[in-house]
Amino acid sequence: MADLTADLGFIKLKNPVIPASGTFGYGGEFLQFFDLDLLGAFVMKGVYTDERGGNEPPRIWETPSGLLNSIGLAGPGAEGLKKIIKDVASKTSTPIIVNVCGGTDEEYLEVARVLDVMKEVAMLELNISCPNVRAGGSCPAQNSSDTKRVVKLVKENTKKPLIVKLSPNVSNISSIACSAEEAGADAISVVNTFLGLALDIEKRKPVFKNFFAGLSGPAIKPLALKIVWEVANAVSIPVIGIGGIMTGRDVLEFILAGASAVQTGTVNIVEPTGSVRIINETRELMDKLKINKLEEIRGCLEI
Amino acid sequence: MKEEECRVAANTNIQGRYYLMKIESEYISEKSDPGNFVMIAVSGSNDPLLKRPFGIFKIDSPYFYIYYEVVGRGSKLMASKKEGDRVMVVGPLGNAFPKYENENMLFVGGGRGIAPLYFAIEKYSGSNNISLIYGGRSKDDLLFTEELKQFPLNEAAFYTDDGSGFKKGLVTTDIKEIIERNGINVTFSCGPDKMFESLNEEIGSLGIRNFVSLEAFMGCGFGICYSCVVKGSDGKYKKVCSDGPVFRMEEIKWQT
Ligand SMILES: Cc1cc2nc3c(=O)[nH]c(=O)nc-3n(C[C@H](O)[C@H](O)[C@H](O)COP(=O)(O)OP(=O)(O)OC[C@H]3O[C@@H](n4cnc5c(N)ncnc54)[C@H](O)[C@@H]3O)c2cc1C
Ligand SMILES: Cc1cc2nc3c(=O)[nH]c(=O)nc-3n(C[C@H](O)[C@H](O)[C@H](O)COP(=O)(O)O)c2cc1C
Ligand code: FES
Repeated sequence: MADLTADLGFIKLKNPVIPASGTFGYGGEFLQFFDLDLLGAFVMKGVYTDERGGNEPPRIWETPSGLLNSIGLAGPGAEGLKKIIKDVASKTSTPIIVNVCGGTDEEYLEVARVLDVMKEVAMLELNISCPNVRAGGSCPAQNSSDTKRVVKLVKENTKKPLIVKLSPNVSNISSIACSAEEAGADAISVVNTFLGLALDIEKRKPVFKNFFAGLSGPAIKPLALKIVWEVANAVSIPVIGIGGIMTGRDVLEFILAGASAVQTGTVNIVEPTGSVRIINETRELMDKLKINKLEEIRGCLEI
Repeated sequence: MKEEECRVAANTNIQGRYYLMKIESEYISEKSDPGNFVMIAVSGSNDPLLKRPFGIFKIDSPYFYIYYEVVGRGSKLMASKKEGDRVMVVGPLGNAFPKYENENMLFVGGGRGIAPLYFAIEKYSGSNNISLIYGGRSKDDLLFTEELKQFPLNEAAFYTDDGSGFKKGLVTTDIKEIIERNGINVTFSCGPDKMFESLNEEIGSLGIRNFVSLEAFMGCGFGICYSCVVKGSDGKYKKVCSDGPVFRMEEIKWQT
């Protein structure tokens, strides 16, 4: 049987499938569907220092094979999250990744500091790419200098491995990924959602109060795959591929494009047991294609 | 709650846009209470991507029933399902109407909002004194009136907006008299938002216990995507799928 181990260098995961931030709650919500130990790791919903209510509805809009969201990072705040983390950590040995958010550099730092002391947290994922908080979808991941500054600041103040999550809404993703690497990122995760627009022709208004919203789901897979390929060729740290993964075949495509592991997002919302199905499909497809280890195909695109 | 592939045992067009789907699931039919709902995959493909929420209308273990109206692409796809087709279902979801005994209860249904109330009437009419108000746009939107009359009801009042088939009026037209006449102290209601707004105006301050079952656009149905929120009277957002869909009327911030 194929070995699904995903090696990120600083940690070995039992398989490459990691449910993505914002699509997996705090993990515990999925215990009623399956054993969290089946997962490679999982990422908690994004957290700020303070409790937040999130954006005014509507917050989602369905598009062909996709989903636009403008949730606006609702949540309990970093201190409130500690108890939730302890609770779910007592029910699983799967590595927990926390998605660190901030409105300012200081806030990123503060959230990272609060979580850095928790032994239950395996890694931090720095979300410098959330499109739904500031007006117009701006975020530090939009340019190299902001990326470098924020990543450096957080990296210097945490002992945890730091994954940096980048935005696809930029013109040169490779240079931004390189800035994150230079600033000390241990891994890059791409992509966060693509900015999109939904309109209401009857009211002649945008559907979302924030105007733009983030597109996810199978509709973005080819776009995400391209970005993963570009980033994997630009940096030497591991890349975690994200975007529209719905099947085991999708997972292997991202690995072939150069990813060391993947995150599954929207699939968890539409199919609560989807990530486990994807792990099983990945194993079956590897057996069928006689791939013994992920390393055998990672980045080995024949061109 | 569980995610499982279920067999469609029947899918019948009752009248116009309204359908009744009978689905086989021992788990859901045994675990569900009135007010609970399920998420159903309408396409079996990536488009449409989201499952659709439907209240549980009736249980006849190992079957449960969904009473639905075709309003868009997803429900149209539901209508095309045939006996023997398989659908992915997540459920039972949400909280349920609270359980009461020996109370004088009033059920208020607007259109397809009768779905969760039917189940509640079936389950609770033996142990409570139940009255019913049921309204719709026209007589073609007011289904199951004969079946409902079979339950031991204190009083049943039916209304249509256009006066076809039943008394012309809204569910609120005679509600105060009905509440008084039957000594009502608990109400359960389900229907369109506009109906809730007028109910809140009419009976929100009578000092009785009012419960509403709300609808919202849902992503997951089990509390993780934060997409189905409504503003609570405390100013905080509540998730319709997991904090509800049943709320006390005064928990919600109404427009009026
Ligand atoms: C808890 C619960 C229980 C329910 N129970 C029942 C039931 O028992 N029977 C029943 O018939 N229905 C029930 N519904 C409603 C049912 O879920 C919807 O009618 C169904 O999802 C519509 O899907 P559709 O694809 O047919 O329509 P869609 O095409 O998805 O939508 C119909 C309409 O809504 C608009 N719309 C679509 N997405 C959004 C969005 N994100 N924000 C705002 N507007 C949007 C569309 O423009 C269109 O006008 C219930 C809903 C909830 C939440
Ligand atoms: C409802 C929703 C909420 C999300 N919340 C977050 C978040 O809090 N932090 C974050 O970094 N990404 C968030 N994302 C982005 C996902 O983690 C993921 O990067 C994106 O959805 C693309 O993957 P997918 O196509 O598999 O969904 C969210 C996505 C969705 C759909
Ligand atoms: S529908 Fe996802 S939280 Fe309610």
